[in-house]
Amino acid sequence: MKRLVEQGSDWGISFGQIVWRRFVKSWLNVVCLVFIAILLLVAVLAPFLANDKPYVIRIAGRLHFPLFAGLQRGDYCVFLAGFVGFWQLIQLSRNSRRLEPFVRGDALWRQLSINSTIILFGCALVFVSIRPSLDGKDYKALVASGKASDAIFTPVPYGYTQTDIRSCHQPPNREHWLGTDDVGADVLCRLIHGSRISLSVGFVAVGISSIIGVVVGAFLGYFGGKVDFFGMRLVEMVMAIPMFFLIITMLAFFPRNLFGIMIIIGVTSWTGNARLVRAEFLKLRKQDFVQAALSLGLPLRNVLFRHILPNGITPVLVNATFGISGAIFIEAALSFLGFGAGPATPSWGQMLSSGVSTTGRFLWWLTLFPGLAIFLTVLAYNMLGQGLRDALDPRLEKRV
Amino acid sequence: MSGKNVLLSVQGLTVNFFSAKGIVRAVQDVSFSIAKGRMLAIVGESGCGKTATALSIMRLIPADQGKVLAGRVLFQGLDLLSLSEPQMRHIRGNEVAIIFQEAAASLNPVQTVGRQIAECIQTHKNKNPDEAWAEAVELLTRVGIAEAEQRARQYPHELSGGMQQRVMIAMAISCGPKLLIADEPTTGLDTTVQSEILDLLDGLRAQYAMSVLLITHDVSIVAERADEVAVMYASRIVEFADSQRLTTKPLHPYTQGLIQSQPRLGMSARRLYTIPGSVADPIDFPAGCKFHPRCRIGCSDNRCRTTEPILREVKPGRFVACWYALEKDKPTRAINIGIKHGG
Repeated sequence: MKRLVEQGSDWGISFGQIVWRRFVKSWLNVVCLVFIAILLLVAVLAPFLANDKPYVIRIAGRLHFPLFAGLQRGDYCVFLAGFVGFWQLIQLSRNSRRLEPFVRGDALWRQLSINSTIILFGCALVFVSIRPSLDGKDYKALVASGKASDAIFTPVPYGYTQTDIRSCHQPPNREHWLGTDDVGADVLCRLIHGSRISLSVGFVAVGISSIIGVVVGAFLGYFGGKVDFFGMRLVEMVMAIPMFFLIITMLAFFPRNLFGIMIIIGVTSWTGNARLVRAEFLKLRKQDFVQAALSLGLPLRNVLFRHILPNGITPVLVNATFGISGAIFIEAALSFLGFGAGPATPSWGQMLSSGVSTTGRFLWWLTLFPGLAIFLTVLAYNMLGQGLRDALDPRLEKRV
Repeated sequence: MSGKNVLLSVQGLTVNFFSAKGIVRAVQDVSFSIAKGRMLAIVGESGCGKTATALSIMRLIPADQGKVLAGRVLFQGLDLLSLSEPQMRHIRGNEVAIIFQEAAASLNPVQTVGRQIAECIQTHKNKNPDEAWAEAVELLTRVGIAEAEQRARQYPHELSGGMQQRVMIAMAISCGPKLLIADEPTTGLDTTVQSEILDLLDGLRAQYAMSVLLITHDVSIVAERADEVAVMYASRIVEFADSQRLTTKPLHPYTQGLIQSQPRLGMSARRLYTIPGSVADPIDFPAGCKFHPRCRIGCSDNRCRTTEPILREVKPGRFVACWYALEKDKPTRAINIGIKHGG
C-alpha cells in the first residue's frame, strides 16, 4: 500500500533522523543507550537468568521443564510487553527506511495503538487463562540426592523468594557471586529481578505524568487568558504539595502495591511537564503556521496535537528521561524507608536498606551492589536526557 | 456591486484591537462586496487595517487580542460572524481560504508539504490518506511545481520562497473554495516570481471560478489584475472603483499620492513623489478627515480638519470619502497642485 520507494535519498531527512544522527555522534550517549538496553533485556529475561528451577531436568527417566512450567502470570505479561516493545523498535527503524515521511507519523500512531492494545488484551488474556504455578520442589536437593539427573540450571541458580537461613549474611563468594542478605536470599538474583521493578516504575510513572502534563499544558498554553491564569494556579497548588510526603501518606492509607506507587508518582509529578508544554504552546500559538492551520478549518485537536505539539515536544522528551530516573529514585527511597511493595518484592531500595540491618553489622555487599545499580541506572538516564537535550538543540549543531 | 451575483458582502465592519498603549481602532465601518469569479483588491499602507479585515472575515482574530464590534460578513447570504465555531471550521479551508504573506512561516516546519496539503483534503473531503496524498501531488503540479512527487516529500525549509508560496496556494485551493483571500501573497518575493504568483492566482481564479480578495500595498500590481479596487487609509475605505478608472483617474488625494509614488516606464529622472508625513496612529487618530495632516488640500481646509467625510457615490460605481473629490468641489488654490501630478 505505502509505496516502497527505492530512491530513499530523495526524501528529506526527518527531524527524528537528524536528532538520531547527532545523538549517536557522542560515544557517551551510545554507552548509556547500550547500558539501558542491556538493563531492559535483563529485566525482561530475568526468570531465564536467575531462577531456582532448572531449564531441563530428568526425573525418573522423564524430561521435565520446570522453569517454563513455573513461569508466573507476571512473567508472561513482561515477555509480551518486552516482545511487543522490541517489535515496535524494529517497526520504527523500518518506518524511517521504507515509509515516506508523510505517512510515518500516521504509521507510528497506528503501530503504537495496535501494539498497546495487544499488550493490554494479552495481559488480560494471561490473567484469565494462566493459573499461578505452585511448584515448590527443591530441584537442587533432588539432583544432590541422585533422584534426578541431567539438570541444566540458570546462570544464577536461585529464586528471588528463595531463602536459606543457613547461608545468610554471606559476603560474595563462589556460590553467591554478590553474597546473600539477612534471610539468605541471593543478592545477584534479587538485583536481576529488581531491575524489573525499577524500570517499570520509571516507565509507567513517566508515561502517566507525561500524558497528563502534555494535555493540561497544551490547553493552558493554547487558550491562555483566564483558562491559563486559573489553570496555572491549580498547577502551582499541586506543586506546593510535598510529593514525597503525599506518597507516604497515601501509602499509609491504601494497600501497598507497586502499581499504587507508580500511579501516585505519575499523578503527582506532571506539573513540570505541564509548565514546559504550556510555555511552548504560549510561544507557538502566535506563530503563523498555527493561524494557517486554523484558517484551513482543521479541528482543534489536530491543530493542538499535530501542528503545535510536534514543534514543542522536545522539552517533554528530555524531561521524560530525567523523569524516569527521578521515579526510580523515588521508588528506591520509598522502599528504603519501608514504604515499598513489601519485603518479598525484590526492590533495589529495599535491598539497600537491609544493608544496615538488625544485627548492627555493616554488610557492605548489601549496600554497594543495589546502590551501584540505582546509581548507574539513574546516571544512565540522566546522561541520556542530557545527550537528548543537546541533540535536540539546533544551536549546538555547528559545534558537533 | 450588483445584487444577485454577490458572493461576499461585508457591511459596516468595525474591529478593535487591544494593546498595551490603548485601543487600536483597526477597522472602522468598512463595507464592500465581491461578485462571483471577480477579483477585488484592497490597497493601502501597512497598518491601515487590510489584514485585520481579512482576519475578521475568517474569524481568526484571537479573542484576547481583538474583537469585531459591529458589522456583518455575508457569505452567500450567511452571516459568518454569527456562526458557531464548528460551523465556521467547515467554512474555513472549504469555502473560504486564505494565503498569508509569509509562506515560510505559515507552513508547519516539522511536516512535509505534501502531508500538510493532504491533511486539509482529508479533513474536508473525507478521503483516505493515500487518495489525499495523490490529490496533494496533483495540486502541486497544478500550481506549477515540477517533480511534484519529490517536492511533496520535502520539508518547507527545503523549498524556495516562491515554491513555498505555491505550496500555500495549493493548500488554499485544495478543497475548491469559492473565495480566496490573498493577504500580500507576493511580499518578500523577487519581482519576476511576484508576477508568476499573481499570474497563477489569476489563472486559478478563472479555472476554479472563484472570487479573489487580494490584499496588497502595491498599487502597480492591482491595475492589470483586479476588477475592482478599494483603497484603505487609517481603518476606512477612502475610495472604491473599478481598477481601470481608479488607476487612471484617482479621485482621493491619498490614492493620487499612492499612484504618483510608483515609478513608471519612461518617467523623467526626477525624484519619486512621496506622500508627506506618515500613517495616522490608529490609537490616536486625528480629528476630522484622517488624511488631512498629509493632504495638499486638507491641511489648510477647515472642513477637512473638523468633520470626517463619509464614503459617497460621486459617479456611478465610484465611491470616495473626500470633501473635494470632484473638481467642482475643490477650492481654487488646491486645483493647481492637485491636478498637476495626477495620472
